[in-house]
Amino acid sequence: MKKFSVKDLSICYSDDNESLRKINIEIEANAITVLFGPAGGGKSTFLRVLNRLNDLADVKTMTGKVLFNGTNILDPKLDVIELRRKIGMVFSRPVPLPLTIYENVAYGLIMAGERNKKKLDQAVESALRQAVLWDEVYDRLSDSGFAISGGQQQRLCLARVLALEPEVIMLDEPTSALDPVSTSKIESLLTELKEKYTIILAPHNVQQAARMADYAAFFLMGELVEYSGGKDMFLTPKDKRTQDYITGRFG
Amino acid sequence: MIFSDIISNMRRKFVFILLLLILCLTACGTKAGSNAPNPDNTEQSQYIDNKGSDTIVNLALAWAERYQTIKPNVQISVTGGGSGTGLTALVNKSVDIANASRQIKQEELDAAKAAGLNPQEFVIARDAIAVIINPENPVDHLTLTQLSAIYRGEITNWKEVGGEDRPIVKLSRETNSGTHVFFLETVIRFSNKDDKTIFSANTLLLPSSEGIIAEVRENPNAIGYDGLGYVTSEVKMVAISSLETPEVYVIPSAATVADSSYLISRNLYMYTPDVPTGEIKAYIEWIMSAEAQQIVKDLGFVPIVENERE
Amino acid sequence: MAPKKQIGNVLITSIIKVCGYSSILFVGLILVFLLKEGLPALKDVPLITLFNIRWYPIEGLFGILPLIFGTLLVTISATLIALPFGIGTAIFISEVAPRWIKEILKPIVEILAGIPSVVLGFIGILVIVPFFRKFLDLPTGLTAFTGAVLLGLIAIPTIVSVAEDALNTVPPGYRQAGLALGATRWQTIWGVTVPAAKTGILTAVMLGIGRALGETMAVMMVTGNAPVMPSGLNAIFEPVRTMTATIASEMGEVATGSQHYQVLFLIGILLFLLSLVINIIASAVSTKQRKRAERILS
Repeated sequence: MKKFSVKDLSICYSDDNESLRKINIEIEANAITVLFGPAGGGKSTFLRVLNRLNDLADVKTMTGKVLFNGTNILDPKLDVIELRRKIGMVFSRPVPLPLTIYENVAYGLIMAGERNKKKLDQAVESALRQAVLWDEVYDRLSDSGFAISGGQQQRLCLARVLALEPEVIMLDEPTSALDPVSTSKIESLLTELKEKYTIILAPHNVQQAARMADYAAFFLMGELVEYSGGKDMFLTPKDKRTQDYITGRFG
Repeated sequence: MIFSDIISNMRRKFVFILLLLILCLTACGTKAGSNAPNPDNTEQSQYIDNKGSDTIVNLALAWAERYQTIKPNVQISVTGGGSGTGLTALVNKSVDIANASRQIKQEELDAAKAAGLNPQEFVIARDAIAVIINPENPVDHLTLTQLSAIYRGEITNWKEVGGEDRPIVKLSRETNSGTHVFFLETVIRFSNKDDKTIFSANTLLLPSSEGIIAEVRENPNAIGYDGLGYVTSEVKMVAISSLETPEVYVIPSAATVADSSYLISRNLYMYTPDVPTGEIKAYIEWIMSAEAQQIVKDLGFVPIVENERE
Repeated sequence: MAPKKQIGNVLITSIIKVCGYSSILFVGLILVFLLKEGLPALKDVPLITLFNIRWYPIEGLFGILPLIFGTLLVTISATLIALPFGIGTAIFISEVAPRWIKEILKPIVEILAGIPSVVLGFIGILVIVPFFRKFLDLPTGLTAFTGAVLLGLIAIPTIVSVAEDALNTVPPGYRQAGLALGATRWQTIWGVTVPAAKTGILTAVMLGIGRALGETMAVMMVTGNAPVMPSGLNAIFEPVRTMTATIASEMGEVATGSQHYQVLFLIGILLFLLSLVINIIASAVSTKQRKRAERILS
């Protein structure tokens, strides 16, 4: 089943930098799709189109279509708030909100209008358990979100997204600021979560891409160079540029 | 980070103050230099520092400007601040001539004597204090008793003195003004030295004559008082009657002040730290001349009559 | 070569040290001077006279209560006016306004900050005072309220520029995270950005209050300066006399060392203490926040 169908997506920023050029891609549900490539290749821009977060950026022109469950999300009349609740996002640096741990997880639900304390409690616990953080923080939920380690903070950010019960989770270099132990915790967590969610991951290195990919897409200078299922691309890349990047000749 | 900004900001301010201090010191230095008498060279420009009563400041400025055209080598700086300010400066030896709209107080005289000075008094003009109201206000005369009761806070509505049903807003100069003290003594206390009544607490104390004129011009509830020289045609003067003849109301004017029929009038003074000599003596003599007294008349004050001049 | 460098280092370090210590020294000297000139008032003037409700110094009535309450009334009202406007404007400039409006608004706020308070006082007398008298149907427009509005105007630019800086230093990640969770723009501003900039906004408010407390000229021109003891809610629409205005208008005339002189310095000490309290509150709040930040970094 296809979660996203992207057709001829092009974006040009106000400073005339073309950021994405004619992207065509289909993203499968309940799988980890890995977007990789050198910095500035368009991965982050692509992710921010999918939840319309780049509405904030100075976009000059945007053409093409992005179908999410069959509806075009680039439609200006679309309810972006509703969209963003369905498509959660985790950023490269852990950004706990300046609130308590509990409030961080409950934030999205409270903003969505949930006032029932019991429901909130349940949702927070369930999200923290899914993010394998519950055992570490259950006794200090009213501490500041900053009072835990970086790895815990990043899992808190993930729990915050999970609490909203989204369909898609996007992660933009989620482990780039973390130590190897925290990184492997997050990676194994993602492998479990793909049973329930569609996961789009922009890893910060090729090794992680190869470890995690059910599907892989190689982005270079705003172009989608190569896209295929499985780990084939890392063993037998079809495109010369992909090969060069994987073998470490640039990037 | 913001905190360190504040600290650096504070530091900047201190550097600024330091610069200011240095500037002041150098300025004082040069002033002292030009002030030094130079008997050999009469063409040397002479500097006269003149400060005090705000009532007199416009008159003193007009005199200074005219005098400059007669004697270009004499430079006169005129500043206001109030009679008290001027006399304090005189005692502190920081002015050559102090302007005052009241006579020097005994304690000021004592302080001056203690500082080794022998202050000299000169009556330079006469002034009447006009009671002013908004032209919209139908009231046009008050007895001295009514006026006093208004400022004591006993009469608070215009209808009690024959006007409309409006609250009375009382305006006064600040307490450091000679006009304030004179009004207190002559009007509120009926010139009775034993009377210790003071202004009602809700009397507005405005820092300048212009402030009083501006508020009276604009506000039909207001009553104020100001030197005759400051009264403009945009406000209305009230006729006042004395305690002895409450039925005779008199509007202040040059004539009614000169013949003493207008009650709230007074002498205006200049004080010198000692018996004046040189350019200061010449200046004060010129002020007594017919030419200078014509300026007094032009500005709405009352010239001193012939026999009051020495 | 090396010793020369060292001398330069030592020289610069000591110059900086001197500058740093001199500011402490200046504050200390000011305090000592204030205390030396003002404290004798407590001895020479009977306390019953000092803590009285009548201020008429030329007759020896030194009741400072109306002045203290006048200052508090005007300052607190000014803060209540300036706070929503200042923070609202800061949020608008930093979070909401499109770039071109931002580029117009910021310099305008800075110009407003640069207008001398005398000029504002003048505008106050000519425009605001008559307007309030007619609009609110008051006996006179020279009231505490007029002063508070004018002080609010003076404090707003300070609050805006400091609060706006604070909002700007909030990492963009916070806003994105808030939005990505499905919060609306306003929910993100109130729930995430403003709390994240809390310390800076608080500093802005404290600086604004300090500005209002210390302002003299504009207040003196529009509050009527009547030393009335404020009582009841209506007091805001009556004339008041503030501590700063009293010092400014009376210090020039007093004889050095007289009771009146001492009491004016005592008022100065009270003002000093008031602003000290405000500063201590401000720094206590920001150090509390900083300690928390340090704990996270370690």
